[in-house]
This record gives sequence, C-alpha cells and structure tokens, in this order.
Amino acid sequence: MTTGMDRLAAAIKGERSDRIPVFCNLLDQGARELGMSSQEYFSKGEHVAEAQLRMREKYGYDNVWALFYIGREAELLGCKEIMYAEDGPPSVADFVIKSNDDVSKLEVPADITDHPAFAEELNCFRMLRSEVGGSYPICAYVTSAMALPSMLMGMDKWMELLFLGPADVRDELLGKCHEFFVKETRAYREAGADLLFYSSPFGSTDVVPLEFLMSTSLPWIKKDVEAVGTPGLVYMGAMSRITNVIDLVIRETGIGAFYLSPFDDVAEAKEVVAGRALACGIFNDIKLIDWSAREIRDEVRKLIDAGKPGGRFAFGTMLMPLAIPEKSIRAMLEAAFESGSY
Amino acid sequence: MTDVTTIERTIKEYNEAVFDTDRDRALEVVHAALERGVTPEEIVFKVVLPAMDRMIKSISEAFDTSLAQQYMTAQIADSVVTEMIPGFKRAPQVGGRVVIGSAEGDLHSLGKRIVIGCLRARMIEVTDLGVNVPPERFVDEAVAHDASIIGISAMMVHTARGPNGSLGVRKILRERGLEDRIKIVVGGAPYRYDHDLYKTVQADAWAEDGVTAGGIIADLAEGVRT
Repeated sequence: MTTGMDRLAAAIKGERSDRIPVFCNLLDQGARELGMSSQEYFSKGEHVAEAQLRMREKYGYDNVWALFYIGREAELLGCKEIMYAEDGPPSVADFVIKSNDDVSKLEVPADITDHPAFAEELNCFRMLRSEVGGSYPICAYVTSAMALPSMLMGMDKWMELLFLGPADVRDELLGKCHEFFVKETRAYREAGADLLFYSSPFGSTDVVPLEFLMSTSLPWIKKDVEAVGTPGLVYMGAMSRITNVIDLVIRETGIGAFYLSPFDDVAEAKEVVAGRALACGIFNDIKLIDWSAREIRDEVRKLIDAGKPGGRFAFGTMLMPLAIPEKSIRAMLEAAFESGSY
Repeated sequence: MTDVTTIERTIKEYNEAVFDTDRDRALEVVHAALERGVTPEEIVFKVVLPAMDRMIKSISEAFDTSLAQQYMTAQIADSVVTEMIPGFKRAPQVGGRVVIGSAEGDLHSLGKRIVIGCLRARMIEVTDLGVNVPPERFVDEAVAHDASIIGISAMMVHTARGPNGSLGVRKILRERGLEDRIKIVVGGAPYRYDHDLYKTVQADAWAEDGVTAGGIIADLAEGVRT
C-alpha cells in the first residue's frame, strides 16, 4: 500500500507515486472527534495524537500534526493564560512582554523539553511515531525568530518595536527568539518530526517591504536556517504570499519546500521554483464553509491542474476552520485525490 | 498660500518616507516644510491625506504595499495630524464619530490600530473599545458617543461568523430600532478570503485592509450624517 511518506518522498524527488501528496490541516476538529471541550482536549498530548490518527484514518489524507494550536510557543516562553473557544482555536490571552522592559526579563528555558507543556507535545509525538512513524509525515510548526515576538507582545507592539526601536531592545528580543527557535526545532526533530513548517510572515512582501525584507528579515531567516539545517524545513509566509521571494530563499538558504498562500498564483510559483524545490499549492479552505460540492470540486481541480504539471507538487490547506461541514472536507479531499492522481 | 514647488517637494519627500516606513524622516520632512512656510492645513490636506489616498490606490491596483507600510502610514498620519491641528487657523470640523473594537473572543489588535490611525488623521472622532468586545457593548458605546459607525475587527473565522460578532451587533441594532442611525463596517483576515462574508454577517460594508477601511468608514460616516 502506498503511504503518505511514499507520496511525499516521490514528490520531493520529482518522481510519480499513485498521486500527489495531500496535506489537510485539521487541528481544532480533534476535540469534536473525541467529544471533548477544547480545554480538556488540548490538555493532553494523547488526546491530540489520538484525534490526529483517527482523522487521518477517516479522511485518508497524508499527514498528521503534533501542533496543538498556534500560541503554544508563547506558553513555552512564559504565557500563563490561554483563552479557549468551543467554535474556534485557542488564543494567547496574556502577553509575556507588556513593555520593552520585559524583554530583558524574558528567559529562554535551558532545556525546553523540561517544560510541562512540551512534555505533552512529546507524549503526542511518541504516540504518533509509534502508530504512523515512517508511514505518514509527522508535522511540527516552528515560528521564525522574527515572527515569534508577535506572539509574545502582540503584532502591533512588535511592529512598533521593529520599526521604531529602540534597536538594542529589538535585537535582544530577536536574539532570544532565535535561541528559542533553534532549541525548539532541534527538540522537534529529536521527537520525530518529519516536516517542520517554518512560519516566516516577515519573509513575505505582503507583510514588510522588499527592502526591509532584504536588509533585516533575510539575515535572521538565514541565521535560523543555518543554525538548524534545511532537512524537513518547509518555508511558509503564514498565508502571506511568497512567490516573489522563493528564488531568493532557495539561493540564500537552500530550503527545499514551499507552502504557498491561497493568494499565490500556483503556476507562477512553480515557474519560479523551476524544479529546485517542492511547491505546495494551498486551497482557500474558508470558502468550504459555504461552497457546494460542485464548486469545491471545480476549485480543487483548478488548483491542482495549475500545479501538477512538472511534478514536485503537493496539495494543502490552511488551518481548516471548525465551521467547515464534514461533507465539504470529504468533497475537497475526494477531488484532490482524483485530480491529483497519476 | 505656499508656492507649488515647496508643496510638491514636501509631498514627494513625505511619500518616500512613508513608503520606507521611516517615521522619523516623515516627521523631519513635515517640520522642515513648516519652517519653509507650509501651513499646518496644507500639511494635512495636501500632504498627509493624499498620501493615505495614494496608498489606498496602490493597494487597489495590486502594487506592492505591505502590512508594515499600512501600519506606519496610519501611525505617521495620526501623529502628524495630531501635531498640526492646534496650529490650524480655524478648528477643523469633526468628520464623524466611530466606535471600533475587536469582536468578542478576538484578541487581535493590529488591524484595528491601522484603522484608528487613518480615521484620526481624517479628523474623525474614534472611540477604541479594545479587544474581545461583546455585541451589547459595541451598541451601548455607539449610542453613548453618538457614533454613526461601529467598526468590528475579526481575525478568526469563528469570531467573524459567530453570533457574538457582527451578527450579534446587527440583532441589537434591529431590536433597538437603530439601523438607520448606525452602520456596521467589518474587516480582518476572514473577509479577505471570502469577499461575500460581510453580507453573511449582515454588515453594511467591509474593507480589505486597514488603510482602505479608513476611507470607507469616513465616506460612510459622511453618508449617514447627510
């Protein structure tokens, strides 16, 4: 039987498997799958792993996630309050950095695997590895040094510090976030992550001007990547467009996989990649909430038809909202399996 | 009236500073212009507000305009206008009143801050209700401040579509017979992925980004007043 790992390995090498890899990112749906409240669900790594395994089995896509929710990294760095919701993802409700003075007090744990929150992630990895290790890629999410401060102090405060200074405070914070990124990435690899989704919104010109990206973001991106190496790293702009920086990122870092934005033109991105990396076209899954099965099928086909020629292509989603009906998830996946077949 | 060359030079230098996200340089340009005899009114109406309109045009024509540029445009415009108003020969007319906040359950504030900066620069009175705002509070504060617009920011699908966001505000406006007096404008990531979503959540208008929202809200506030 062809596994998700077989499909991914073939796509990376530019070879054909039975079909293209299909990444479906269901996180919050796990609580519903196990009939639990969001808070109860996310309190245990076993819950997350069990739901990830069940959902992958139920729908037949090619990946599982060890990510609980975006914001988990803030907890590892001292955030004490998470706001849970029954109809959406948890949010960071307490910023670790409330003023610039807090930057010097921010401590990166010597060993992040000692943190109770990380212990649950390790439990999740353990279970995923024992059930589908080597068969289906286990995905982890790592936030770039330059984007992590937005989770620690809020995006607006971070923009203020980034652009208006003081420069020494900004650089101290970036240094600490880089240190955390390196420790976290190494710990995830050690735990069994096959793919590390490197979230780099400040490496997208949708977020910062190109000149700033070149002068400030790129050196930090290079520093991040050089410290951990490229194996398993997947570059993403956190759903901001990245087509116009793919060539730069390949040349400067050697990263070999790109998770595009639904706003990227897939055919154009493939042209820029020019066979040097894997490109994953992203479906605008928010539309799944209202689209009919026919609309879903047509749109999935359009995306895959644009990206599949020439190979080294995968299909993926954003973080799927809970409001998407199950039948629409199935319609999207059936269309992706069908259109993505060789 | 300042000569055309001085104004044109100020506009060019200010626009460059804003597009480079360089607040200090933008303020230097403004201060140098004042020394050359450009009036505070000219700074606001011929330099700052046209720069915001230029950015809206750039965004709508899909030129490269980043989130950081929008944020800095709003912050710079807000600071400059706040500094210029005391120097006006006549106090400017208030362009409308707006209450704005992030929907209940939503703790994001960047988009809201961009909108607020742009509205203040347009001399619209803005009351910032903060984040995680229940629908009742949106309406109560709008009534208390005699606001004609409620701005609701939502960065997550469930806070945009849920019953305690725009839908909840609409319900209360309807129940209290306030729909003619107060309009709802929404914005945030989910609306960018689904351009019809504002209709689903029964808002009157939406905007793709914070700078554009400033223009849309200002126009809508003017429409409600007249």
